[in-house]
Amino acid sequence: MKVEIRKAENYDKEEAVICAVSVTEDIRNAVDILRNNGMSIPVTSEGDTLMVKTDSIYYIESVDKRTYVYTKTGCHETKYRLYELEDMLGVGFLRCSKAMIVNIRKIRSVRAELNARLSAELLNGERLIISRGYVKELKKKLGIS
Amino acid sequence: MNKAKIIFNQTMMISSAILFGMGIRTGVLYLVRGEYLIRWEWYIPLSIILSGLLCALASLVLYSDKDDDRQGEAIRIGLHFILVLGIVSLCGYLFGWYGDLFGYLIVLVMYVIIYAFVWASTVWMLKSDEKKINKAIDEIRDDE
Repeated sequence: MKVEIRKAENYDKEEAVICAVSVTEDIRNAVDILRNNGMSIPVTSEGDTLMVKTDSIYYIESVDKRTYVYTKTGCHETKYRLYELEDMLGVGFLRCSKAMIVNIRKIRSVRAELNARLSAELLNGERLIISRGYVKELKKKLGIS
Repeated sequence: MNKAKIIFNQTMMISSAILFGMGIRTGVLYLVRGEYLIRWEWYIPLSIILSGLLCALASLVLYSDKDDDRQGEAIRIGLHFILVLGIVSLCGYLFGWYGDLFGYLIVLVMYVIIYAFVWASTVWMLKSDEKKINKAIDEIRDDE
């Protein structure tokens, strides 16, 4: 397959377009890597170390200097700090408050509050607050001016 | 947005709104009484900025990071309405924006109209943003 790479003006303009006759396993893997879905992070659960795929993460929360990763199956602790995960996870994740990162793809809907914050409902039914300081970043990530 | 920036922006917005309101008031007084009230004392422009700053500081009660339910939000808005009304009344009294009860009533009516207008605009902007964000999220949401 012919591969062409062009320089984008900024991270928001980055995109990958694949022209293929059919979507093969290789293409799926490439798409996973491009979407950051192929990446996993180590977590501990009941003493065992597991690898959690980033696309299964709903949100990550820091409580009392400990970091917890929430997935559909449960809550796991990770050794990473929130700011390290923020750098690792990339554009699909949003720092939504001082102590929380949310997977944007897991948000079902948002509701605007009068104090300029957003209340986000996740696909698992949980509700999170997106602080007003991070709403602009969410809009930027979603391509809303 | 940090709090200093919020206060600065709001001071500018409220000062403009007060200036607009005072303009309307002079218009009403001209129509009702035929009075020309264009000439202002030297301190009036500064009093407008000061009042704008005080009202902006009062609006910080709206920007709490506490998780409020609908009732909590309503209480906060009610408190803000009364606080800002107190500031406007006090500044109006100290800086002579009104001379008698009729003048004060005009200030009150103006205040209620501006307050309602600012909230209606704010809610409209917030709901417009909410709609755009939900539409964008719909396009990228995972299937589960």
